[in-house]
Amino acid sequence: MAGCSDCLSQTPNLAAIAPLQSEFPFEWIYIRSIIEVSLYVSLVAVALSTLLSIPVALVLGFTEFRGKGFLRSVITTGMGFPSVVVGLSVLFLVSNQGPLGPLDLIFTTEAMILSQLVLATPVIMGVSLAAVSSVDQQVRDAAFAMGGTRLDVALVTIKEARYGLVTAVLAGFGRAISEIGSVLIVGGNIVGSDGESYTRTLTTAIRVEARNGQFDTAFLLGAILVVLVLLVNALVIRLGGTNGGYR
Amino acid sequence: MTMDDPATAAKDASSTRPTDAPPSTTPTLRAVDIRHGYGSETVLESVSLSIDAGEVVAIIGPSGVGKTTLLRLLALFEQPRDGALEYDGTDVWEITTQQRLAFRRRIGMVFQDASLFDASVRRNAEYGLHVRQSWIDRLRREVADLVGLRDGTSEAIEALDVVGLADELDRHASSLSGGEAQRVAFARALAFDPDVLLLDEPTSDLDPRNTSVIEDAVREASERGIGVAIATHDMNQARRVADRVAVLLGDGIIEVGETKTMFEDPEDPRTRKFIDGELIY
Repeated sequence: MAGCSDCLSQTPNLAAIAPLQSEFPFEWIYIRSIIEVSLYVSLVAVALSTLLSIPVALVLGFTEFRGKGFLRSVITTGMGFPSVVVGLSVLFLVSNQGPLGPLDLIFTTEAMILSQLVLATPVIMGVSLAAVSSVDQQVRDAAFAMGGTRLDVALVTIKEARYGLVTAVLAGFGRAISEIGSVLIVGGNIVGSDGESYTRTLTTAIRVEARNGQFDTAFLLGAILVVLVLLVNALVIRLGGTNGGYR
Repeated sequence: MTMDDPATAAKDASSTRPTDAPPSTTPTLRAVDIRHGYGSETVLESVSLSIDAGEVVAIIGPSGVGKTTLLRLLALFEQPRDGALEYDGTDVWEITTQQRLAFRRRIGMVFQDASLFDASVRRNAEYGLHVRQSWIDRLRREVADLVGLRDGTSEAIEALDVVGLADELDRHASSLSGGEAQRVAFARALAFDPDVLLLDEPTSDLDPRNTSVIEDAVREASERGIGVAIATHDMNQARRVADRVAVLLGDGIIEVGETKTMFEDPEDPRTRKFIDGELIY
């Protein structure tokens, strides 16, 4: 971090901006790299979280065991966990003194992914659990009675709960991409001297521009963030087969 | 599954048996002295019942007596606390899970509610066939469905034809009436050509026309050699469709016999009272 103090909050070279981009108070490389970092960190975190959350939700939804109620309440509590606390915890994990210190993850996109994973997982898991639990037991029984294995019953449950599961993924993505506190702490909000973002995301960039009084830039980045969220939502809904129609 | 597998051997034997051959002395399905319950409550005590190929057995009894529990045990949803469940002479709880799956796949079940999947009529009817396919074939089917290059499989269409819905392949399950949904549920259980069909009050919520369609389908299944167990509290339905009737009262079967005998001259006085609606329970 100290070695990169000169690259923090770099103001882009306005003179280098092409005429078409002259209305933008920053270089194209700056905004493109910020979008890339934001999408990369959020999409990877949400993908990993989904792979982890849906099987856990299926197991929790299907089985009865001691402590299940407690586990559910832990997940529910995690849905509203303060992101700054998550950021501090992940910072400790990846710091030199932390258990992940040898991996040298501090102020990297990987550390940001880890913090977003921690934040998005309770959301995706909690909403997925609600979706899976809402599938009628008789539908699951029907799959079993037609000769389905436990895996077949799980697949039927996923299909029946698909609208809820898509909602879970979108909620997790929303939480991840709009996150600012923890990514600022573990990522360091770093931009290179060439204007290329290393760990600066749209949200942290908005914060920087607003603090610098560049409100037009901040609003523009905000608009880009909203458009990105809309695009990803539309894509996920399309792939999830809901066609926007939640029944 | 190898030819040594009892399920395969029995299936092959039944499929090659001449239609005029005398019925096997070994019932397709047999519950032997089973006992079951939930928690400290005993639901079924010393229940024995057999279902032969091609016969319809009605299980009658008041609501809450354990008819559904008995059918779920026969469908291998759960293991009885005591006693044995035999398919073609094999105790299905004394074999491996994989072997038991082979037996389970010879049973179809229709529930009181249709419990259709959130999919088209065709996909619902094909589900039992689908889970019996290899994963490669299943993937091919999914891809073909995605690009709209597939018609219904002949077995599913034939089963839907039995319940009069072969022309409704592309309708979504949510657009069906309750009666139509139950008919699709019946076709779904019939499509994979089971040896045994278990029907849990399949017409309790249906109008007379849909009830009639289901009862005709039960007769057709029976004529195909499928053993049918139907739980019902409709005495007239039991009289119309069943070859034999088992009366489930208290926590056990009190009497089993030919339908005509059971309705006209039952041995147990409680059966007479139940049929006449005079039994207080």
